[in-house]
Amino acid sequence: MDSLSLLWDGLQAAMTPSNLVYAALGVLLGTFVGVLPGIGPAMAVALLLPVTNGMEPTQAFIMFAGIYYGGMYGGSTTSILLNTPGESASVMTAIEGNKMAKNGRAAQALATAAIGSFVAGTIGTLLVVFFAPAMAEVAVGVGAPSYFAMMLLAVVLVTSVLGSSKLRGFIGLFLGLTIGLVGLDLSTGQPRLDFGSALLAGRIDVVVVAVGIFALGEALWVAAHLRSKPLGIIPVGQPFLGREDWARSWKPWLRGTALGFPFGAVPAGGAETPTFLSYLLERRLARNSDEFGHGAIEGVAGPEAANNASAAGTFVPLLALGLPVTATATIMLAAMQGFGIQPGPQLMESEPDLVWTLLASLLIGNTLLLVLNLPLAPLWARLLQTPRPYLYSGILFFASLGAYTVNQQPFDLFLLLLFGLLGFAIRRFGVPVLPLILGVILGPLMEVKLREALALSDGSPSGLVNEVLAVLIYVVIALALLVPPLVARLRGEPDSPRREREEQMSDR
Amino acid sequence: MSTTSRTPPPSAPDGAPDGAHDGAHDGIDKAQYGLAVLLAALGVYTIIDATTLKVGFADPVGPRLFPYLIGAVMVVLSVLLALSTARGERGEQETGEDIDPDARPDLVTVLKLVGILVLNIATVDVLGWAITGAVVFAGCAWALGSRTLLKDVVIGAVLSVGSWYFFYSGLDIPLSPGILDGIL
Amino acid sequence: MTVVVGYLPDQYGRAALAAGIEESRLRGARLVVVNATKGDAWVDKSFADEQQVSELESELSGLEVGYEVRQSVGPDLADQVLDVVRETEARLLVIGLRHRTPAGKLFLGSTAQQLLMGSPCPVLAVKPD
Repeated sequence: MDSLSLLWDGLQAAMTPSNLVYAALGVLLGTFVGVLPGIGPAMAVALLLPVTNGMEPTQAFIMFAGIYYGGMYGGSTTSILLNTPGESASVMTAIEGNKMAKNGRAAQALATAAIGSFVAGTIGTLLVVFFAPAMAEVAVGVGAPSYFAMMLLAVVLVTSVLGSSKLRGFIGLFLGLTIGLVGLDLSTGQPRLDFGSALLAGRIDVVVVAVGIFALGEALWVAAHLRSKPLGIIPVGQPFLGREDWARSWKPWLRGTALGFPFGAVPAGGAETPTFLSYLLERRLARNSDEFGHGAIEGVAGPEAANNASAAGTFVPLLALGLPVTATATIMLAAMQGFGIQPGPQLMESEPDLVWTLLASLLIGNTLLLVLNLPLAPLWARLLQTPRPYLYSGILFFASLGAYTVNQQPFDLFLLLLFGLLGFAIRRFGVPVLPLILGVILGPLMEVKLREALALSDGSPSGLVNEVLAVLIYVVIALALLVPPLVARLRGEPDSPRREREEQMSDR
Repeated sequence: MSTTSRTPPPSAPDGAPDGAHDGAHDGIDKAQYGLAVLLAALGVYTIIDATTLKVGFADPVGPRLFPYLIGAVMVVLSVLLALSTARGERGEQETGEDIDPDARPDLVTVLKLVGILVLNIATVDVLGWAITGAVVFAGCAWALGSRTLLKDVVIGAVLSVGSWYFFYSGLDIPLSPGILDGIL
Repeated sequence: MTVVVGYLPDQYGRAALAAGIEESRLRGARLVVVNATKGDAWVDKSFADEQQVSELESELSGLEVGYEVRQSVGPDLADQVLDVVRETEARLLVIGLRHRTPAGKLFLGSTAQQLLMGSPCPVLAVKPD
């Protein structure tokens, strides 16, 4: 198949020594940030954006992909080893994995999580290889009205489905859209929302926004809640799996992958639902289901695989349609724009080197993850003893550095501070961050497509619905908005909140 | 400072924080009104700013549509938020493994950090990143509770000078040398 | 009458604890064991976890005198211990001493030094055998 030969080319390109170094760097960096609670891959990618200005886009994305996967591995390491009190961990891996660790089976928990992630990531990436080109081919023929509708769907789903409060989701979204408005209007060239300052006539650099909201916001938030009772860490030697554990793990790995991938590829699918579903499924299928809740290895294998497959799945809409569905994917999209690469269905045609090398690097990064990180697990655990003052001072240092390098203007630092305070505020008020960053980055794109669609129809709103796909999507949007509250009312229960905590914690 | 004591007759278990519990605030979260005001202000400003834009002739929609829409919805959202706040609803504060939700937020530390960042904004062009970067690092460490000032300044200086050279030689991006111009 | 012990779950803390137990027996005093943390890292090996605390308590329960185990979180370790000393009007503070290299003395803060200087009562500093 054509895809396979392209992948082969990509593998050869990705295996150059310098590219391998970038992949390894990304994986290590990603694990580093993943281990530390509250700091996620989105922040790491945002902090690295300025440095990548001098790099080749391919290499930058290889590193980002490594960070993405490494971040998830780091996160699961922490949730297994950190001696969290009771049920405060919401991630499925944490519940069973932590119990396993408390029972002295930390090595097996870590191993099954890592190998499961590898399996899921590899299969997931191969699925991307098969699906993304096909989807892109179909999507290329799609016009502005449908494209606008698709983005609207993504945005609406993310805003209203995730998170415990639709109101706050929309607040986040529209704050982001407002931020995205700042700058020159694309067709008439007039400055918008410049607050009378020439410095704001250009668009606000995505680095400043992303670093401010993710890095600075997090640092300020933690600073306000710095001291708390330390948690113990469960000591662990080398991760390894015995034969019986292998036998119990491999099917959950596959089932988890099958569950996770579709959810990752759909906007607002998220990782929480498939990991939860995987947990339930494994519990139902397990022969010794009463072990669940006390450290059943299937309860780690399945959800971990689902988590990683979901991450792989997010590359399908990102590469095929130019549609990001997680915070990290959104920042990667913005990075693409920064490199002058236009994301969208035509990406696979116009930048085949980038795409296929990236996909190949995902496979390589996955392998590196297993090879490098599995033996290093005890070392990563020691990272948790770092006092936070140094950590967050470092983050503030790199955040300031990053924002300053954009234009060498103190004004950007001022903007950084503003966005940092905004980041603090959204954490204080429970406003979800994903709709916000989506609004900042997708907002301008959506406006362009909206005006394109309406320009074609000379301003008549029918221009929005003169493609079949667009109409279909609008129907789906309407259903997504109307059905859940109706169902809840029929059942007589209040809207059940979907916790976005896992998303904010792992910052995908 | 928070303390837990254990004495021979076992006392009550320490408050293990559960995810959504927000012990410091009960009742109406007045701070959310502040957020609502901010949203309304932004929304109104967006609309007013949009009215100053001129519509191009070939463009049936014009640059005003999006801002009008966004501004209007922002105002609506701010009203909804105010209503929801009055009903006693509050957002879920972000929690994580490192947050103790029962403790009162330490805003003094936040203000100190903001102060250091403002200092950086004011002095980075004058003194140069190689100096102010070190100040940022050491200052933030101090604000966050580190007592080892000398060590922090040394680390900060290594980081700031190192990053200055990295960007200058490695990526051809000159950061301001400030008063060290000529030395670096 | 109270004897305060500054405790860590390591050899220095255990040495201090042993000395403190002996002192409180000699004086017929109550023993207050303080384990403090700055609370600024996710994992702090100096902070006794649940299991270590219960081991400590079972060790102490064999004493004829009253005892109390306190754990606290605060920005300064020495202050936390000294607050307990002042509050209980302790007659003696027992701490464990560790050897520090010349470089260590320059770069690291010294809790022991702060305690020695700041304590309102005599301080007994012991080293592990």
